[in-house]
Amino acid sequence: MRLIQVVSVTAAVALLTGCGGVKTTATGGDGEFPTGNIQMSVGASPGGSTDLITRAIAEGVGKELGVSVPVVNKPGANGALNAKELQSAKPDGYKIAVQNASLFTITPLAVSANEAVKLDDFDLIGGISQDDYVLLAPAASAVKSIADLKKSGKNIKYGTTGVGTGAQLASALAFKQAAIPATDVPFDGGAPALTALLGSQVDVATIQVGDSIAQIKAKKVVPLAVFSAERIKFLPEVPTAKEQGYDVVVSQYRFLTAPKGTPEPVKAKLLDAAKKTFATEAYKKFNDDHCLTPIEGSPDEVRKILDEYATKYKAQLDQYQISLGKK
Amino acid sequence: MDFLNPVIDGFGVVLQPTNLLYCLIGVVIGMLIGVLPGLGPAATIAILLPVTYGVEPVSAIIMLAGIFYGAQYGGTITSVLLRLPGEASSVVTVFDGYALAKQGKAGTALGVAAIGSFIGGTVSIIGLTLLAPVVAEVALDFGPPEYAALSLFGVLLVATVGNGGRTKSVIAAGLGLLLATVGRDTFTGASRFTFDTLNLADGIDFVPIAMGLFGLGEILHNLEERHRTVPAPAKITNVWPSRADLRQSSGAIGRGSVIGFVLGVLPGGGATLSSLVAYAVEKRRAKHPERFGKGAIEGVAAPETANNAAATSSFIPLLTLGIPANATMALMFGALLIQGIPPGPQLVSEHPDLFWGVVNSMYIGNILLLIMSIPMVGLFVKILRVRPAILAPITVLITLLGVYTVNNQVFDIFLVIVFGVLGYLMKKFGFEPGPLVLAFVLGSVMETAVRQSLLIFGGNPAGFFTRPISGTVLVVLIAVLALPAIRWAMRRRSVESRDEELV
Repeated sequence: MRLIQVVSVTAAVALLTGCGGVKTTATGGDGEFPTGNIQMSVGASPGGSTDLITRAIAEGVGKELGVSVPVVNKPGANGALNAKELQSAKPDGYKIAVQNASLFTITPLAVSANEAVKLDDFDLIGGISQDDYVLLAPAASAVKSIADLKKSGKNIKYGTTGVGTGAQLASALAFKQAAIPATDVPFDGGAPALTALLGSQVDVATIQVGDSIAQIKAKKVVPLAVFSAERIKFLPEVPTAKEQGYDVVVSQYRFLTAPKGTPEPVKAKLLDAAKKTFATEAYKKFNDDHCLTPIEGSPDEVRKILDEYATKYKAQLDQYQISLGKK
Repeated sequence: MDFLNPVIDGFGVVLQPTNLLYCLIGVVIGMLIGVLPGLGPAATIAILLPVTYGVEPVSAIIMLAGIFYGAQYGGTITSVLLRLPGEASSVVTVFDGYALAKQGKAGTALGVAAIGSFIGGTVSIIGLTLLAPVVAEVALDFGPPEYAALSLFGVLLVATVGNGGRTKSVIAAGLGLLLATVGRDTFTGASRFTFDTLNLADGIDFVPIAMGLFGLGEILHNLEERHRTVPAPAKITNVWPSRADLRQSSGAIGRGSVIGFVLGVLPGGGATLSSLVAYAVEKRRAKHPERFGKGAIEGVAAPETANNAAATSSFIPLLTLGIPANATMALMFGALLIQGIPPGPQLVSEHPDLFWGVVNSMYIGNILLLIMSIPMVGLFVKILRVRPAILAPITVLITLLGVYTVNNQVFDIFLVIVFGVLGYLMKKFGFEPGPLVLAFVLGSVMETAVRQSLLIFGGNPAGFFTRPISGTVLVVLIAVLALPAIRWAMRRRSVESRDEELV
């Protein structure tokens, strides 16, 4: 009796987690793909941007290909743990993942070499979207631009979303270029950084636009600059750092990856399914809700974007003698 | 009276049959996943998110909220019966809950926990209804320095909650603090004690530590015990708390509600801290503090009330400021966005039906949970009648499965085994795992907060005393620490003067 209860509860949870143990018998790169479930892993906990994007794509790709696409969270080391697992997975298209550009372009600048992940170890399927950063000040402060911060003449305490993130890189570059004395206060993600900013615990903070748009619209915080190359449609009245005279262009960019050596026809099929998902109204609305700018480029374009970012960041850090890791 | 109109309209929203049904579905799922260690509300909500696409916004959020607070009810059951705390906030419940279960009073513990949870949850909802916007603003005054002071306070409390020797508690807590340093340094990116494995880059997860030290450790220890003596099967003397039990825990429930509501509003770690503080307060107030850890009913009532109250009040930052306080709230945030309702400071004024519908659904959800809990108590305590030879392997299996589901990493399974062995050794040599686990949780909060504070203060530690809240907490702390020393000195002087008189 009680045993049955325990077993049935376990079964219920197995169902919930989706670990039904469906066999994926891959046959390789022929037209048959897919014959089983496609697993999308996420290198972050449930609820973050990467997780939500993965789930939105998984939903669409699953419908498109007529298989289920379970999402599995494998958080750890800013996504490096998941990346390494994907890297060693069988390259048959049944295990894919959305990955963040920062893992390849910024994190290696802050952590030791053996923890860094290389882009060459993966096959790219296609680009997804760009997620921009915005520099914010509390509504109560009189600061309206980066120049105002400089005028205040004090050491600026700036909150970021963590070490080795775009938020840290963008703010460090901006303050260094503006010759503003500033101290980096890392938080564990956007929400705690925003909380600290709302409570005026820090003078300014750099946070992803999607995480702070509601507070900006409610005038609880004031946007000083966006770190994209051009103004973004979600905050059309906010000038870029570039417009204010600072060469800081930092964005998070996400793209779809597969293990190295995945057959071309499989990748093409996955890309096609992803593109069809991107074209749906539901997915477009998702992008708008989360303030994501779609850049759904080809693998070559993705590689080009990433290479440009990586080279530029490295050069700028050297030029301004900034060390993200402070070792 | 204008203020009350949206509240009453909110009840109109909840009492629609569909919303009642979603509320029921939510709390049932929540309770089930709460019973299972590992799989938490965050993962469950992530999985169910797509299901909510086609549902009305209010109904969807009512269901997801139900999962969250329902899980808090469920977590108690394994803590009491199997010594498996599913979440950091139910670690404290294990101390007296499991002791009561061993004495055959599992029903009492579960019953009181259910009633406490109900009252704590309800008090917190009333607080949410009346005070949400005010409280949210106050919570913003809690910056890194305040967290630093509070977590230091918490770590010192840890040493007093253990019921082994004080020295052994301190040693265990020290080990917990050390374990909290494992992982990538959040300020410099340097790897600490990771042995070059990425699995440790984010540090050790709470779940394998708690499951290993408490759950597996206990099972291993029982195995050894059984070789020596044939234990009498745990008798289940009473299935329901007596009037005396209820009277005894009423104070604890009242104080736990307030503590839970207040600390739960703080983003991050509020629930754990509240359960610990509530327990410590009861132990300090008790006429016979030595009963604690050996099956004091207040030791179950206080933390269970507090963690439920905290779970409810953790909705305040999300609903009034648009800030998700934990992973589960981040998913709620996502769910609201999907429904086209951006959570933010304007939520209450722009979508009063949603705000009050969800808040009021919690009253109903708590009543549903209480009604479900009562017959469940009788059912669940029967688990203890299962022979250990059958129960233990099943518990181990569920533990390993649960640990795996947290991060989907096989590494964590090995980790739980390592901590299981450590838990066994600790039990054998008279160390309590409680202080270790709690110090571990608070230690990482403390390290981050202290270092953030020092960055904010420009490296000057005197800054902690210049802020009203952190300053007050620290002064109280120093006073409490100094009190025994002063008292001892005073007594000594009076003894000395008496000696002189005698001479």
